[in-house]
Amino acid sequence: MRIELDRPRCEGHGLCEEAAPALMHLDDDGELVIDVPEVDGAGLDAAKAAVRVCPVAALRLAAA
Amino acid sequence: MTMRRIVVVGNGIAGLTACDSLRSAGFDGELTVVGAERHHPYSRPALSKALLHGVEENGVEENSADKNSGGLQAHELPEPTHDATELLGVSVSGLDIDARVVRLDGGGELPYDGLVIASGSRAKRLSPTEGAGEPRDDGSARELTLRTIEDAITLRQRVAARPSVIVVGGGPLGMEVASGCLQAGCEVTLVSDGAPLSRQLGGHLAGMFTSAAARRGLRVVGGGKARLIDFDEGAGSDAGTRVVLADGTVLEADLVVTAIGDEPNTGWLAGSKLLVDGSLRVDTRGRLRAEIVAAGDVAFFPTSRGVQRVPLWTSAIDQAKVAAVGLLQGDAAPELNFQPYFWTEGFGLSLKSVGFTPVAGAPDYSEPGNHAESMLLRWENKDGSGTAAAVNYRIPIPKLRRLADAGPAALRPAAPVNV
Repeated sequence: MRIELDRPRCEGHGLCEEAAPALMHLDDDGELVIDVPEVDGAGLDAAKAAVRVCPVAALRLAAA
Repeated sequence: MTMRRIVVVGNGIAGLTACDSLRSAGFDGELTVVGAERHHPYSRPALSKALLHGVEENGVEENSADKNSGGLQAHELPEPTHDATELLGVSVSGLDIDARVVRLDGGGELPYDGLVIASGSRAKRLSPTEGAGEPRDDGSARELTLRTIEDAITLRQRVAARPSVIVVGGGPLGMEVASGCLQAGCEVTLVSDGAPLSRQLGGHLAGMFTSAAARRGLRVVGGGKARLIDFDEGAGSDAGTRVVLADGTVLEADLVVTAIGDEPNTGWLAGSKLLVDGSLRVDTRGRLRAEIVAAGDVAFFPTSRGVQRVPLWTSAIDQAKVAAVGLLQGDAAPELNFQPYFWTEGFGLSLKSVGFTPVAGAPDYSEPGNHAESMLLRWENKDGSGTAAAVNYRIPIPKLRRLADAGPAALRPAAPVNV
């Protein structure tokens, strides 16, 4: 699966980074960077948790 | 005990997270989630915040392809992937913990081996509960509240006509609604028992918001507890709702929105033997019994500041994750280590805070950002914990947590080591 970011929606809460720090982080300007866009296995669970925790639904998982 | 059938009551973010977490923890049995709302879970915090952006300055609604959501989109969450049977628009009416069945409104029962109670809360109202929200003869509601997507659509439609508005309640929701209505071009009066936001945030942060609100033309009125009375001046078009305060102040507006808190949905649990003094109190793993857990706005849970109900987004998610594992693994499950995260926005300010609030006095540390009204703040609390707040300051929450926990030194890169 592929993690997709709808950047205009992102408000920089960074809850996704807390859920999946190995996959994404907010940079010094508070902009989200997806470090590992393609995920499977354990990464997929973390990615799902990250997608779910976003209060503005800025993240989605799409078929790779 | 082998759990083959788990029922989740409530399909908000707590119920959704519980379903996801049960699956992630390996539960592959029969999962059923019952939700009183007709929709898949959506983001409730986005409803009041979307109002801020969803109505144009001139009050004209934006065009939207999605008529069902009234043009709102920020609340939409991705489709669930937990593969549970979803019963949408179905209310529960009772619980028998001996027979282990949930009773559905209008008949029907759901047997369970494990139960997650995530039935949420509802808006308190000023009107007596009996007939609350019933429309008057002309079809308009006495008081609007903001809890569901339907509430948000109704409010948005009413606000588009730029009515004069009274918002009752000086908490974050009331302030967000007031800000959205002001931005839409309404004349807004906020009725607040005490200084707005001070009970939730403390005087310093509350003061920043009330100053910004005053600059934008918000009128704030105190005067004690409010009540509503209908009036009818004879002509139907003059009928409306008056807000009467304890000190005798009488206020009138075209639209009254109340935001005076929420109360847990526990009516269906009357007689279940689960309620203690009318409330649901879970342990550190979300449990009420070995086979029943609760999470989200409905539950009181232990925090480092005592047993509390914390009806906020990340609280619901954190509780639901713990409760799901607690249901499957019992004492082997991790305990909840609740660390508050809260955000609100309005009047041109955006606040994110980590740690317990309200915070007393002025901050012990403050660092200006790179534009006006941008600030990073930290308080050292009496109990030794820290609270950090970012106002109009974009900062990753993990970093804000480090500031809260360890102080400003946590923000600096490690000093070079001299050899």
